[in-house]
Amino acid sequence: MNFVSQDTLTRLVMPAALMLTLALAACGKPAEAPPPWKVIDAPTLRALMASDKDLLVINTMSEIECLDHRIPGSQCMACEEIEKDITLLPPDKNRVMVFYCESAGCYRSCRAAGAAVKAGYTQVHVLDRGMPAWKQAGYAMETVERIPRGSIPSVRASALKQMMAERKDLLLVDLRSEQSYREGHIEGAVNKPLYRLSRDYAAIPLDRTLVLLDDRGFRTFLAGSYLEMKGYQVIRLFGGMQAWQEMTAAK
Amino acid sequence: MKITAGNGLYGLPAGLLLFAVFAVLCLPAAAAQECRFCHDEPLYRVDFNRSIHAGNGCTSCHTGITDIEKHRDGKEKPAPVNCGICHEKIAKEYLNNFHYIQEDFRCSDCHRNIHAIQKEPGKNIKLAIIEKCTECHGNADYTASGHGEAILKGNHDAADCSDCHGLHSTQVFHTSLEQYPTEAREFYTQKCKRCHADSVMMARNNLSDRMVAYYEGTYHGKVQELGYPAPVAGCGDCHTKHNILPKEDPRSSIHPANLEANCGRCHSGFHPRFLSYQSHPDYTDRQKYPALYATFLFMGGLLVGTLAFFWFHTILWWRKVYWEHHRMEKEGIVPPSVVATGEGLQQVERFSVKYRIMHVLLVLSFFTLVLTGFPLKYAGTEWAQTVIRLWGGAHISGLFHRGAALVLIVGMAYVAWESLKFLFPRGTGKQGWLGRLLGPDSLFPNLKDLQDLKGMFRWFFNRGEAPKFDRWTYWEKFDFLAVFWGMFAIGGSGILLWKPEWSSWLVPGWVLNIAALVHSEEALLAALFIFTIHFFNTHFIPNKFPMDRLIFTGTYRLEELKEQRPLEYERLVAEGRLEGMKREHPSIPLKLISATFGLGSLLLGLFLTVLILWSLLFA
Repeated sequence: MNFVSQDTLTRLVMPAALMLTLALAACGKPAEAPPPWKVIDAPTLRALMASDKDLLVINTMSEIECLDHRIPGSQCMACEEIEKDITLLPPDKNRVMVFYCESAGCYRSCRAAGAAVKAGYTQVHVLDRGMPAWKQAGYAMETVERIPRGSIPSVRASALKQMMAERKDLLLVDLRSEQSYREGHIEGAVNKPLYRLSRDYAAIPLDRTLVLLDDRGFRTFLAGSYLEMKGYQVIRLFGGMQAWQEMTAAK
Repeated sequence: MKITAGNGLYGLPAGLLLFAVFAVLCLPAAAAQECRFCHDEPLYRVDFNRSIHAGNGCTSCHTGITDIEKHRDGKEKPAPVNCGICHEKIAKEYLNNFHYIQEDFRCSDCHRNIHAIQKEPGKNIKLAIIEKCTECHGNADYTASGHGEAILKGNHDAADCSDCHGLHSTQVFHTSLEQYPTEAREFYTQKCKRCHADSVMMARNNLSDRMVAYYEGTYHGKVQELGYPAPVAGCGDCHTKHNILPKEDPRSSIHPANLEANCGRCHSGFHPRFLSYQSHPDYTDRQKYPALYATFLFMGGLLVGTLAFFWFHTILWWRKVYWEHHRMEKEGIVPPSVVATGEGLQQVERFSVKYRIMHVLLVLSFFTLVLTGFPLKYAGTEWAQTVIRLWGGAHISGLFHRGAALVLIVGMAYVAWESLKFLFPRGTGKQGWLGRLLGPDSLFPNLKDLQDLKGMFRWFFNRGEAPKFDRWTYWEKFDFLAVFWGMFAIGGSGILLWKPEWSSWLVPGWVLNIAALVHSEEALLAALFIFTIHFFNTHFIPNKFPMDRLIFTGTYRLEELKEQRPLEYERLVAEGRLEGMKREHPSIPLKLISATFGLGSLLLGLFLTVLILWSLLFA
């Protein structure tokens, strides 16, 4: 065999190159398309609120939740209502507006912001990670009508199923949107969307124990406290319809 | 008069000061009196005065009232109560509390009787916390658990809600919030460890404080400890979140009848004998885990024995060579290989391109294995965490580990094939295979190796000349065969651990415990052997220091061949093969690449040795 040629050098380097390529390939991630609105963080929103007196900060939760606690100076407009009637927003399409909601996923604020962008608003912002980020930054909140927190017992899906078989005085109240309710609900549940509950609650009979249902179990506590304040006896489903569906899927 | 006048002059500011002090001291009390004029319920008049906050006035908490008449007329409202004015630390913790973030709970939503709150010495705080939390949270699982039962029986060590979830720092780890499964697992596993590794607390509750350490010794525990998101079981994954019961209890997740479902939540496709895997075994417990204990002893003995023998060998060797060098230096003797001229300068091939490439592949795969495996072995150390972060997490690091293992397995299969070809060359069949196996070109040990070993030791102690070697020395043969043995031990155990569920169709789960132990200990032996003994024997020995590039360039001087392998030289001359092995001098690029790769590998190996020894001794 001859002394080492150029070819051999390549062969010596190849394993190293191969490992490097593998490493690079493992790191690559596909890019996501950016949303058609601007995402801002809590300190930016606070600075914006201080500098822009015309700034429109919109809480997209239900009226009950928004009046209980909101970022100071916000307007209460539930995302379902904005989607139904965009004229709730001011006519000036260049008005700077910031949407936020009460979960880190900001699903509701994005829906509302999407509706605003579609309607031609140009200065649409969404608060990154919503009100939780605002609170974690240590910024103050505002209360208009505080609901006294009740002791609302939560039951797990399996326990609820058993209760439904044993008790006749339960009334399942599904607080999700009309659309989610239409897509599927527990048999016998009535739909009282949370965004209109402050207007609709009086139609709920007082002589039944209400079992509140929502998407993931986050919103039934405050709704329950509200209804308890109004004289109802309330329990709630732990983990919401997601937990219920997980239980039925497991069986 | 003058005195009086003087007194009067100083008396005014002094009096004002006195009034101010009096006013500051008495204002809260005075304000409280005034408030109770209207707010005259017994709660404020009686209960508040007995409460823990009795020393404060109304306006200490209900700030923002400057004029009581304006307030009475409804023109001035108190500001929202901020308990954080005094309870600063709690208020800071509370900013991240789930109840605040998600449900906007304020202090008085849990501390409902805030105006009548009293210190109650002797009150069972743990019980009080459980009662408070279960006002809203379903408690069926918890109260049936070992922790709940113990607290109800008056045990003050068992975990109440706050011991795991925090009191004012309840985390945003909601079961339906699937954003934080890794953080939640890490968080709660740490909570379990805090008590279960507390030897005093565990001793007074008749529990072992070693369970945490045993868990940390397993794959689950190590990956968990690395803190990087590869899905492995934390405590709660097997013991469940609230329903924590001893394994004798049929309701327990770790009861034998429930194990298949329990392990099956993460593992699939396993044979039922998979379940005999021990999640936190004590391999020093001879009674309970005899097989593991025996393996531990055997591997420990192998490790200590091999290293002790070769380190001893190395130290003696170094001493001899160094002293010899000193003598030659003093007497002005230069070894012939250094001052070679004429034919002595001729380069002769020792390793063909094929074997050099194989050695490079071996180096690369070995380093990849060490750099991905040892961080797992010493998961608790800082350097391990850094290395895993550099790989991009435990999962990616694991992929590289398996990739490098494949390279090594293919290499080993190729060497086995080459060995067969060497023993049974084409045309000769089985004839003479034993002669070839024990002959001078074979890497298999023979009687001469034993004599050489004895000869070397005699030489170390100045009792004779250094033995004359043929093509392969006994330590080179050991290097070669150690890789073969290592491949059976590490490779075999590694393949079993690669897909433990499939392995359970071959061997029971407890064999996987043994495989993990063998894999880990044999790896330690291999790394320390290569990075100290092989490095010394081949590169760091004074006449080759800092490195011998021979394995990379493949050739050395004829004079070096004569000096290092005289018997091989004589054989080559006698058989007339020497001429065919003469080569050109290696090129500059090849020498540069060899030096860079070789020295880089040596330095990396030494650096890793320091890390490994440090972890072994101090971590």
